[in-house]
Amino acid sequence: MAGAARVRAPDSSTGNVIRDSALGIVPQTLSHYLPLNAAIWDDGPLNAAEIEMARLRNAQGVGCVLCKAVRYDIAIEAGLDEDKVQMIGDQFENSGLTPREKLIIAFTDQYLNNPGVPSPGLRRQLQAEFTPQELLHLSLVVAYFNGFSRCAVALGGMPDEMPRTEISVPR
Amino acid sequence: MAWIAPGDDRQTLMNQLPGIGDRFEGLYAAFWQLPQLPAATLELCRLRLAQLHRSERDWAIEEVAVPRAQRDELRQWPDSPHFDAPERACLALTEVHAIDAAAITDAQAEAVKQYFGDEGLVALLQALGVFDGMIRLGLLWGLADSSGDRH
Repeated sequence: MAGAARVRAPDSSTGNVIRDSALGIVPQTLSHYLPLNAAIWDDGPLNAAEIEMARLRNAQGVGCVLCKAVRYDIAIEAGLDEDKVQMIGDQFENSGLTPREKLIIAFTDQYLNNPGVPSPGLRRQLQAEFTPQELLHLSLVVAYFNGFSRCAVALGGMPDEMPRTEISVPR
Repeated sequence: MAWIAPGDDRQTLMNQLPGIGDRFEGLYAAFWQLPQLPAATLELCRLRLAQLHRSERDWAIEEVAVPRAQRDELRQWPDSPHFDAPERACLALTEVHAIDAAAITDAQAEAVKQYFGDEGLVALLQALGVFDGMIRLGLLWGLADSSGDRH
């Protein structure tokens, strides 16, 4: 059973899901979160479908019901359909994901479960598939969404389950 | 040298992803100026995360000066006289957050709110996510010496 939210949300109803969440009560960080969130989606070399795959894998690892239910519209437009989302599970290695997509999941798992330099084999595969800028982008995608989802979980009030919910990137 | 990109420090790597790396650093820097939480308390939490992750590099960093006795006894903070009640509330929440954010109890969250309010709890949880992220990135990129846990 879901517990109660541990803090009050702001009174605002701007339509921006970050500004209207509990994060909105700390304006000193909100002013950094909003442009960073947009930049994560807009300013890096990975496409939105690749970002979304890493975000969803992180959501599974953290157990964030909200994060797992959300789908960003720009990721869908970039080609991430529900068939592919269903492959982002613990059996991803044996799924129909492309080698590049499997490496995104493997990198995310490394961050979540064993933060340290990846094995020589995984490093070679990552370096063969991605540019340094792409790997840095993937790193910051995972770090950003991991911190975000852990905060969401810790603030309480998370439902036990949520329907798939399509949203736009808050700007 | 990091394996992921040319460079051997976080700033050099972050600079290679303009628009994102600098904004991530900007968010990190914002935590040291918050009115909701003392910077020294946040520094204790960051240092405790460095211990838990066994990151020598992050332990060696000093974002904010804290008393030497607190650094020396941080691992034993529950039994040390050098930590006050607000710091203990934040450190207790930090340790659970590091393992499983979903395992944080209402009592642990309330303990932080007792001293810092709703805004302080949100700010602390935001800070922990970013601090943890910076430490994990250093370890993942190969910037940190994670060979020992000697603090």
